[in-house]
Amino acid sequence: MAAPPRVVLVTGGGRGIGRAISLAFAEPGSAVVVNYRHDGASAEATVAEARQRGADGFSFRADVADFGSVQAMVGEAIARYAKIDVLVNNAGGSRDGYLALMSPDDWDAVIDVNLKGVFHCCRAVARHMMAERRGTIVNVSSLSGMTGLPGQTNYSAAKGGVNAFTRSLAQEMARFGVRVNAVAPGLVESDVVSAMPAEQRERLLSNVPLGRAGKAEEVASVVRFLASDEASYITGEVIKVTGGI
Amino acid sequence: MESTKRKIREILAVRLKLSAAVAKLGDDTPLFGPDGLGLDSIDALELVLGLQKEFGVVIEDRAQAVKVLATIDSIAEFVRSMGKG
Repeated sequence: MAAPPRVVLVTGGGRGIGRAISLAFAEPGSAVVVNYRHDGASAEATVAEARQRGADGFSFRADVADFGSVQAMVGEAIARYAKIDVLVNNAGGSRDGYLALMSPDDWDAVIDVNLKGVFHCCRAVARHMMAERRGTIVNVSSLSGMTGLPGQTNYSAAKGGVNAFTRSLAQEMARFGVRVNAVAPGLVESDVVSAMPAEQRERLLSNVPLGRAGKAEEVASVVRFLASDEASYITGEVIKVTGGI
Repeated sequence: MESTKRKIREILAVRLKLSAAVAKLGDDTPLFGPDGLGLDSIDALELVLGLQKEFGVVIEDRAQAVKVLATIDSIAEFVRSMGKG
């Protein structure tokens, strides 16, 4: 009988950094569960590519801000594979704007997805990992949560919260053999960055010591490392992936 | 019911490493607080996981845990009420 697969759940795993993370885990002997909220086609395409690389997996629609749908997603993964070895909390979103003009709705929506969503997903998988005495969680945070950024009070508060959450949960889960870490990407190549006016783009890049935006794959490789046994003595850390900022 | 209670004692003894104390424990002795076994919240977490693994019963949150995990009797009653005892 074949060994059970290494099961990896990636929230927001169909696009951008999430897609790169999903594919970083896609290899024979692994199963990748690709969560999405809106873009089912991208999630399905990511699963198809993961399969081409020899992994098992499926896509699942769930809004991480809704605990019920997160429970249904985790339940489905457990029903299929009996365990979850790695949870990557990548789902997120921003509604940038200066505080003086920010609506309470824009505040709540960003906190709900970026911070409460992390709580929901960790809450849903924690017991399974603790019972197995094994598992790793990697949260995708942001440099914004460490340094702050004008126009992102909601997003930086949520990501700063994720960093603190990561350190607290790591201490709670350590005795159960579960590690919890985070990565904090800086400027990463994305549709948003590509669409920026050249001048704005240049100004942002001039602040990056390595002189360029990061690639999604460069974030994914750190996530993969933190989730691996190579990082077996690392927990409660927030690793910046920022090109030196 | 008696075999359920025996399994609960086993969870306390093995998972919480309390075999000596458990041997002297009454079915109605409080497990938490100064008047009983004096378990703490981390012990409660271990107990929740142990019951989940042994009986397949899920204790959802802290409020339910406080009620269910009061004594060996209350745990056994909960397991029975879930049809798992």
